[in-house]
Amino acid sequence: MRPATGKRTRRRLTDRPEFWGFLFICPWLFGFLFLTAGPMLASLYLSFQRYDLASSKFVGFENYRRLFTEDPLFWKSLKNTLFYAIVTVPLGIAGSLGIALLLNQPMKGQRLFRTCFYLPSLVPAVAASLIWQWIFNSDNGILNSGLHLIGLPGPQWLQDERFTPWAFVLMSLWGVGGARMVIFLAGLQGISESYYEAAKLDGAGTWVCFRRVTLPLLSPVMFFNLVLGVIGSFQVFTNAYVMTGGGPNNSSLFYALYLFRNAFLYLKLGKASAMAWVLFAILLVLTFVQFRTSKRWVHYEGGDK
Amino acid sequence: MKLTPNVTQIGLASLTALTVLGGCSPTSTPGKVPLRYMAWGNPEQLALEQRLCDEFNAKHPNIEVKFLRVPGSEYSLKMMLMLASHSAPDVMRVDHYNFPSLVEKGYFHDLTDLAKADASFHRSDFFPQAIQEGLYKGRLYGLNVLFGGVIIYYNKAMFRQAHLEDPAQLARQGKWTWDQFRKDAIQMSAQNSDGHPKQFGFGPPVSSATFPVLACALWGNGGDMLDPSLTHAVFDSPKAAAAFQMLADFRWKDHCSPTQAQGENSLFTFESGKLGMVFDFMGMTPRYRKVIHKFDWDVCPVPSGPYGHPTLCKGNQLVMYSETKHPQEAWEFQRFVTSKETEEDLYVQRRRCFPTRVGVAHSKEYLESNLPPFNNWVFVDAIEHSRPLPINDRWAEWTNEFNSEIDNLIAGRERDAAKVLKRAKKRVDKVLSEEPGF
Repeated sequence: MRPATGKRTRRRLTDRPEFWGFLFICPWLFGFLFLTAGPMLASLYLSFQRYDLASSKFVGFENYRRLFTEDPLFWKSLKNTLFYAIVTVPLGIAGSLGIALLLNQPMKGQRLFRTCFYLPSLVPAVAASLIWQWIFNSDNGILNSGLHLIGLPGPQWLQDERFTPWAFVLMSLWGVGGARMVIFLAGLQGISESYYEAAKLDGAGTWVCFRRVTLPLLSPVMFFNLVLGVIGSFQVFTNAYVMTGGGPNNSSLFYALYLFRNAFLYLKLGKASAMAWVLFAILLVLTFVQFRTSKRWVHYEGGDK
Repeated sequence: MKLTPNVTQIGLASLTALTVLGGCSPTSTPGKVPLRYMAWGNPEQLALEQRLCDEFNAKHPNIEVKFLRVPGSEYSLKMMLMLASHSAPDVMRVDHYNFPSLVEKGYFHDLTDLAKADASFHRSDFFPQAIQEGLYKGRLYGLNVLFGGVIIYYNKAMFRQAHLEDPAQLARQGKWTWDQFRKDAIQMSAQNSDGHPKQFGFGPPVSSATFPVLACALWGNGGDMLDPSLTHAVFDSPKAAAAFQMLADFRWKDHCSPTQAQGENSLFTFESGKLGMVFDFMGMTPRYRKVIHKFDWDVCPVPSGPYGHPTLCKGNQLVMYSETKHPQEAWEFQRFVTSKETEEDLYVQRRRCFPTRVGVAHSKEYLESNLPPFNNWVFVDAIEHSRPLPINDRWAEWTNEFNSEIDNLIAGRERDAAKVLKRAKKRVDKVLSEEPGF
């Protein structure tokens, strides 16, 4: 009798999808609960304090109030980051998708090409930043030498505030062959040939195939890349930290860089914590909006919305 | 989900245990007073520090100093975290850029009484400039180490090729002025046949990052950055503006110094023989001795303006942690690191930086050397005419505001220094008047 019930319970546990779900996210859950959740809550608490490591004092919403009403650099860093996100996210997604489409074509040396395109994302961010510093060098960098050859004047990419934001946009293209491209590639390979065959029988050309078959079936992957892309672009930090330190005239002062500065250079840890929560709120809202609008354009295969 | 609190508690407990264990000093020899000392530096510097600890331990059988090395890139962060979590080492080296903001928070032990009780410690043994950086509200909190000032290293071969007089000789005759400097720098700048620059009169490139090094131009012209109480900016005065204008013009009118982009990636360095002169700290001597073989070089003072030739000095401070359990032993160690013998080894034999002791700097051994530079009087003269940078607890913040404004001047997009500095003053004054901590 007993073994039977025991078996039944055990079966029930492994039968439940939640069990497997939790099992699979276990490593992440562990990290989140023990390593991330504590500091996160602590930073929420700190955001209501004036805290400089040595002493702290409760100040209510003062940190938030000052950020919004008295800190021009807060707004500037937010503006810089928004610009970066708005330009690089669509550009990056288009670029990654384009490369994924190319690398999905059956051809000789396909694997070699895939490796080559993935390689740049293996370069550590700091090393890549140093390489790009060379590329952008207004006097002897390869970019300006190229522009010079076709008769265009090369700007001072990293010293002129009108061009720095674009320099970082250009640099963001470095990552188009990375993880995002791999995800697109996996998505493309998940699309069954039979859809294309059916479409071709109905007389669809390459463009119609792409527009009516590939894109809709790729939309879940696209959605995933969009959400992560937006979050990632709001956290841009290393390039600016290494290449320009936020300058010239704060034109590359991104949100995360300003946050870092407040925390670890100026020791305004209360203000920095408040900034972190403002960023969290912004990303939460943006992600929420993306999820809501996604219903209109994301199609899950065999899904009924 | 009911499990979570328990698991959290266990997790936190084990984390705490790990932290405590990790934070504890490694096993110390019984019967000896354990001291921890923390510093950063390149491998060479770290080896020297380790040797100092070993020597100290050998001479003091009752004390055992353990040396903690922390990479320079994370040093100040690590130190702040240790200070905030009450686990800092007994003795630390602090860059003066960080000293004012940390001493103000009460992290460092007041050394005034220890110094008074120590019969062998005399303030007058040290250069006043070296003592000054370690003072806070008139009390002594740090002893200066790796101290030095800015002088000019010059390429003698380039001066000869351009048929120019030796700048150190000119300085002795009182003729080494900013005008002369400018003429010489222009004379030495040259282009390749393809129009690309071949060599420049001086470096480093004028930039916001190198501005502190070039503060001598400002002071020699009678200007200053902040008022003496360090509460508001005065760099918008006509004298200060003229100095900034001169620096910007060196680049954009006279073309005798590399642009920031040209200066990147080490294309124009003193070592490569492509700069006639370079403003730099005295601590560059060992490196130049090691790597320069193709030309002869020496040192000369910074040029003088209507207000003389003041230059800047800066050091690191050797501080004691306010919560140390062994202040007397820690003081012993601090004294050892700044002793006459140590200074003779580090600064006379190895020329790592400048001695803080007047006697050591004026000794025959220091002034006469058989390796370049030979004009060692220049170092002593520079320190005696030096001033500290106006570093206060808001230094990082206000210099950032300042730099943001002068970026365009340095990039050549704006040409009128006075206008730029007016705007900069507004921003810097705002930072300095803000309530700290927000």
